[in-house]
Amino acid sequence: MQETRQKELVNGEVWYRPGDDVPNVPTKLFALQNLCTDCKMCEVACSLIHSPEGELNPVWTRIKIDHAPQVSRVSKDGFGFMPAICHHCANPPPCAEVCPTDAFYYDPETQAAVIDQDKCIQCMECVPGCPFDTVFVAPTGELLKCDLCGGDPACVKACSTRPEMLNAGKQYPRLPVLFYEEKAAFGQILRQKPEARDEVGIMQAMLSKGKVSSAA
Amino acid sequence: MEGGLLRVDLTTGTIKKERIPHALFERWVGGSGINDWLMWEHFLKHDPMCDPRSPDNIFIFGVGPLAGVGSGIGVKGRLTFKSPCYGIFGDSAGGGKFPYMVRFSGFDYIVVTGKAPKPVYLHICNEEVTICDATHLWGKGCEETHEMLKQELGDYPSTTHTLSIGQAGENQVGIAGVVSDGWRIHARSGGGGVMGSKNLKAIAVQGNGGVKIDNPNGLLEWSDDFRQKLDGNEAAYGFKRRGTLGAVEMYQRIGGNFWRNNQGALFRGEEVRSDNWVKKYHKYSEVCSSDCYIACDGRYKIEGHESEQAKKFVGETFRHPEYLTTASGAGAMDIRDWAEVAHWGKITNDYGIDNQDLSCSIGFIMELKQRELISDRDVEELFGKPQSLEWGNIEDIEELVKNVSYQTNPFGWLFRDGAYWGALRYSEQKGQNFMKYAIYGKGGASFTEEMRPFPTWMNNMAVASRGSDHLKGIGLIEKFQRKDLSKAYFGTPIAGDPTVPDLKGACTAVLENQVALINSYGVCLFHWLLDPLSYAPESYYGEAYTAVTGIDRTKEERMLDGERICNLEKAYNSRLGLRREHDTICERWMHEPCPEGPNKGRVAADMFEQVLDEYYEWRGWDKETGLQTRKKLEELGMEDVADVLAADNAIAGESRSGRAVHVEMKASDDPGIPD
Repeated sequence: MQETRQKELVNGEVWYRPGDDVPNVPTKLFALQNLCTDCKMCEVACSLIHSPEGELNPVWTRIKIDHAPQVSRVSKDGFGFMPAICHHCANPPPCAEVCPTDAFYYDPETQAAVIDQDKCIQCMECVPGCPFDTVFVAPTGELLKCDLCGGDPACVKACSTRPEMLNAGKQYPRLPVLFYEEKAAFGQILRQKPEARDEVGIMQAMLSKGKVSSAA
Repeated sequence: MEGGLLRVDLTTGTIKKERIPHALFERWVGGSGINDWLMWEHFLKHDPMCDPRSPDNIFIFGVGPLAGVGSGIGVKGRLTFKSPCYGIFGDSAGGGKFPYMVRFSGFDYIVVTGKAPKPVYLHICNEEVTICDATHLWGKGCEETHEMLKQELGDYPSTTHTLSIGQAGENQVGIAGVVSDGWRIHARSGGGGVMGSKNLKAIAVQGNGGVKIDNPNGLLEWSDDFRQKLDGNEAAYGFKRRGTLGAVEMYQRIGGNFWRNNQGALFRGEEVRSDNWVKKYHKYSEVCSSDCYIACDGRYKIEGHESEQAKKFVGETFRHPEYLTTASGAGAMDIRDWAEVAHWGKITNDYGIDNQDLSCSIGFIMELKQRELISDRDVEELFGKPQSLEWGNIEDIEELVKNVSYQTNPFGWLFRDGAYWGALRYSEQKGQNFMKYAIYGKGGASFTEEMRPFPTWMNNMAVASRGSDHLKGIGLIEKFQRKDLSKAYFGTPIAGDPTVPDLKGACTAVLENQVALINSYGVCLFHWLLDPLSYAPESYYGEAYTAVTGIDRTKEERMLDGERICNLEKAYNSRLGLRREHDTICERWMHEPCPEGPNKGRVAADMFEQVLDEYYEWRGWDKETGLQTRKKLEELGMEDVADVLAADNAIAGESRSGRAVHVEMKASDDPGIPD
């Protein structure tokens, strides 16, 4: 990773101003299209981590399941859901770019853009600013954005596995819809032929990299 | 731990909001346990012998503390009421998103009493509760009702989820179910008939409130561990792929299927197998329950090329058939094509009617026709027109479903409370005894699995509090010959041997306690079945329950909690006059030898009494009358219940004589056949 200039916030956190060289999130969330069953485990886990003490409430989630059917090799009818996840855009993220108070800073661990609630004036400019609609508003007006849970995302751990969806026998005992994966590794897969980019292709590629356990 | 309680009296339109105190969770765990207690309390003030279709009956919806909190065991909501079809304790579980959303509305328990003057639905939006006019929804099927309510109420502050009845419920059909989100039916016991009798078309819920969790990190750790356990479980893989459908093949091997009103124990034809379903119809799971690591549910869309019969249903889409939809369609009525079985599941869901009870009613009349016990003229009398009544004829079957749902002809009226009452009424009408062709267990509830060779299963049918049912004391140890489980539970492998009666009654007693716990947590039963020892509700699930509620208990104490709940359900039935003689099964199961399969020739009567005796022994109840003893109730800290039972002559040693519930129910409940 290239060296980047850092500025200190009052609270000692590191933050960047639009126009600065910003870090590129090296490892981020990915979701496989169509495999989601809308079980809401990711939403619940996210809210358990992020809700005010001891309260579970999906309005505090930074991830939402959308009904987004897509036609693919596996799903010819385009049934299916898709988790709406923050894509941790870089250079700089559109949400941070529109922020009038520069309330966004970058987590030193994960390089993810996070909101400093002390600086945020809750103008909500970042909500339409996000091209993926993944900045959410809590009932208190607080703006919610994925912070990757400091490098161990709860949603990925909670994501139920869907090996049966591929009709490929017992090849993939652990096939989650959500991955926490290196961009570089995923990028290689995405540069392949179209059929290698759908659920099956991505699974096979991940399997060959030893990213997914296989009991078969 | 506290929970919100909503009380709605539809007669007066009063809405009361209360809190369920921590002490009630300590005593009754939650979910079905608290539902049972609310119903028990209600019938201390109201006549327990009331007509289940009268305003005095109570209709309770409840979710347990573990529902929707990220345990991964799946959400199950529970309805509790006095059953309109069997006249005894009634309850029914259902999944989907409705119970999940109820939690965030702040009301974990919804109690409805009285009767609205005109059709209404209940709209719960966080603290705001409204009784709304439902005239425009009346007469609509469950799917359409759900879609209309979703449109009407919108997506703010959260998406709308509903619980509704179809035409069957509106017409107060006893075997009508209640449908969650238009897709998933709470089928058993006739909750739909109760809602219909209250003029309550639907309950719609929206919510964005929070649920208090005692130890959020503990819960997250627990569910991460549970997910890893399931990932390593091969049975979980099979279950994700086929759900309960895998049972078709398994039962075909052990002779446990149900064919043509139980004239056979094996499916005919090669088409109706789970492999064929998965290959031809399986699509993505997008109708699963919330909060579930398995998501066994799936959706199909018929394209027309799958089979000759599928051409009739091109474009039809619904959730995939469960095992019991298959057993009632392909088994009880001998439908031999998957597309038709799926269609049967779809229409019974849409009219909102229990397909097991209904299939046994249809199977009964088909068998009479097959045996030429009724003439073409009798058929015309029943249906008002000629009807082929051929086995497996889906057009005919669809018409019969409508007859019962809309109550349009004598067949519909006679069989509105299921096969037992239908057969009894028809026998009386014709002056001939047809009861040996009716399939039923306790309370007159029907069940579409072969049970003669499986003593625990058979015993479950005779003792389940809600009437003939497998889900109260699930007999997995003996049915799947799990000698390993038998050893772990009882220290001997004998409970895993279905050919001898030993420990079969014990299996029912112990497993009923465990199931009561699971139902009270508000989660799905099936995860536990994948590995009953590792995922034990009293220990492993108990840890998650502790993380959510802060109520810590030892394994033994939790088993007592389960036993207490079972005893409360039993006590309610005892108040109604149910005694040992009501813990019984139909003549075909009892005396007709099993016709085929590996268990050919087995008769339930061989072991029935012995197993029942053993069950009462393990329960600590009186063998002669089947009633509870004061000693047992006091052990469980249920002195208050014992006092009520004593006042009603319904406790062993202190009772004089029992009331015959069947006779009483019939007198108040006979729909009467117009000339």
